[in-house]
Amino acid sequence: MSEPALVPEHVPPDLAASMAAPPTATVPALSESLFRKRLRKFRHIKRGYYSFIAIVAAYLISFMLPLLANNVALVVKHNGRYYFPLVTYYPASAFGQNAFGDPDYRALKQLFAKDGRGDWVLMPPIPYGPNEDLLDPTSAPPNRPSRAHFFGTDDRGRDVLVRLAYGFNISMTFALLVTIFADVTGIIIGSALGYFGGRTDIVGQRFIEIWSSLPFLYTIMIVSSVIVPIYLPGRMVFVQPSLWLLVIILAVFDWMGITYYIRGEFYREKAKDYVGAAIATGVSEPAIMFRHILPNALTPVVSFAPFEIVANISALVALDFLGFGLPAPTPSWGELIGQGMENLTIWWLVFYPLAFLFLTLLLVVFIGEAVREAFDPKEFSRLR
Amino acid sequence: MNDVVSAGKAPEGGPEGPPLLEIKGLRTFFYTESGVAKAVDGVDLDIAQGEVLGLVGESGSGKSVTALSILRLIPDPPGRIVEGEILYRGRDLLKLSWEEIRRIRGNDISMVFQEPMTSLNPVFTIGMQVMEVIQAHENVSRQEAHRRAVDILTEVGIPDPEQRMKQYPHHFSGGQRQRVMIAIALVLNPSLLIADEPTTALDVTIQAQILDLMLEMKERRAGASILLITHNLAVVAETCDRVAVMYGGKIQEVAPIDALFRTPFHPYTHGLLGSIPSVAGTKAKRLTVIPGSVPDIHQLPVGCKFVTRCPYAFEPCPDIEPPLIEEARGHWVRCHLYPHGGRPAVPPPGEPDKVRPT
Repeated sequence: MSEPALVPEHVPPDLAASMAAPPTATVPALSESLFRKRLRKFRHIKRGYYSFIAIVAAYLISFMLPLLANNVALVVKHNGRYYFPLVTYYPASAFGQNAFGDPDYRALKQLFAKDGRGDWVLMPPIPYGPNEDLLDPTSAPPNRPSRAHFFGTDDRGRDVLVRLAYGFNISMTFALLVTIFADVTGIIIGSALGYFGGRTDIVGQRFIEIWSSLPFLYTIMIVSSVIVPIYLPGRMVFVQPSLWLLVIILAVFDWMGITYYIRGEFYREKAKDYVGAAIATGVSEPAIMFRHILPNALTPVVSFAPFEIVANISALVALDFLGFGLPAPTPSWGELIGQGMENLTIWWLVFYPLAFLFLTLLLVVFIGEAVREAFDPKEFSRLR
Repeated sequence: MNDVVSAGKAPEGGPEGPPLLEIKGLRTFFYTESGVAKAVDGVDLDIAQGEVLGLVGESGSGKSVTALSILRLIPDPPGRIVEGEILYRGRDLLKLSWEEIRRIRGNDISMVFQEPMTSLNPVFTIGMQVMEVIQAHENVSRQEAHRRAVDILTEVGIPDPEQRMKQYPHHFSGGQRQRVMIAIALVLNPSLLIADEPTTALDVTIQAQILDLMLEMKERRAGASILLITHNLAVVAETCDRVAVMYGGKIQEVAPIDALFRTPFHPYTHGLLGSIPSVAGTKAKRLTVIPGSVPDIHQLPVGCKFVTRCPYAFEPCPDIEPPLIEEARGHWVRCHLYPHGGRPAVPPPGEPDKVRPT
């Protein structure tokens, strides 16, 4: 291959030495993948990056809400024994309360403090549950914001702040699940249409067109009023079955959008030389589709994901608002906004839910904007 | 129209034994909206073991389609291999199942493409792409695949291969990428390498390096053959043992390299050789140009495909397709100027107007 260079005689010796053995090119130790490059760009877009951190942090914290806002005590010390009511259920009688059902831990705390026998109750920072009716003996709910309830209570005396916080978790979980299900379905169908093309593509496209022209909201209303979620009694269910049902219904009507993009990407990518080269080296067809083409076709999925999450949060709010969403006691934003709608003069029922919704959607849109910009290959030609 | 079944055989005295690859009467058509394009229309060609065969022709002559047909890489639709046989070690590649042809690809017959800049997947490191080929065909551990990838990259002259394997294609120059492509093509020691214009997209200074590399890699793999597709006769002259000239989807002339350059038979080959600039003469000589342009692929002439541009065209040419005949030993030509066993009636290039057969 590379013969040692012939050096003329009149060349000075030091130069001749370097000509005979040309310096080897300095090789950067690690090559930056396209993904890392985009991640780095994303981090540089401060507004989107901090929104991302804020949303992710809030979402992670919201999983610990039973420890932060709840009417069940974290720890109870009673007669020298420690109780953990969040882990095990205790009836009211276990702590000497003269009642059936759940113990009133807030009353218990006051009682133990008054008795002064070394018993105590550790309550969460916000000692109110999401579904707990806090009826004030002096006035009828909804009660205005007070020291106990910063955001006031709703029309059944439930703490608005606690319900909004739990609602955030449900909204985000719901939106993420719908986005994942819809995207996975859309990617599989879109890639099949784009890769196989021809008759598969034509038939599939027509089906998608018909499917997308179904009136989505009405269909959901009909379906969700016909199918009644079945609760399994006595089971601690992390995510309620009715939520899964709604997720599936929404995903069934939400996967079409992404297929257009994936299909287009597959059409473009499969014509590229690297695909031909991979086929020519005997790589199997599924590997071509999912290992070679798919990673190159994921840009629209990633850059649309935040906006899909926004759409899905809004969809759940809309369904809950109309009363076709999650079943009654579930803390949901749409239900609270609905209450605000019915009680327009009660400002805390109007303002706080809308503010929460607005803030969340705004932050997610910021993320989406930053992702889109990080994925933009035309870094220096965009207008600012 | 299987003119002569054994057409294009390697010259006697060449490598012994049955040919590695035999193409017999291959027809690959493209069914487009503007009609049927007969890109390859009855190609007969043999590739002997250990030989470097050049396939030369203009754009649209069907040389790339011939190559793609061997590995059944013709996009269907619109393309289809209509008829023919491609015998590789006696097995007809056109009759294999997709799984069987997949095992042939990259393992027994592999291919290097024209565009090194786009032939590598931008989202994977070089190492992953070399290892993928190994693992697609052989059940080996990651470590073993990695070791072999390092070996082959060292062999094709990538400096510091351990580090470079962790890099992405955009860190490689065109020449280096073509080296990687050659590494991927040769890592499983195939017996036939199809190189489809492997140097066309490269700098002139790099072209020679890549050709040398391919020949050197071939030498180290005893019995391996190369099918080199190019429109560059200089590349052919440097590298090939034998040349096939294609025009209009047909083989027009097959000859050992010396014979083709010394005594080209076909008027088209004359034209090709006459259009190479030379620095030997003292006075600048005008390059001869083949008049006209390649005929529309959808409406090729009925008779000789070159008739529209041939300066020697005479009465039978437009209507009757000449057969491919062995005019000299191992030197085949498809032209009415050469009745079987007759003498060449065409003057050497440069003085076209002297002889005109009647």
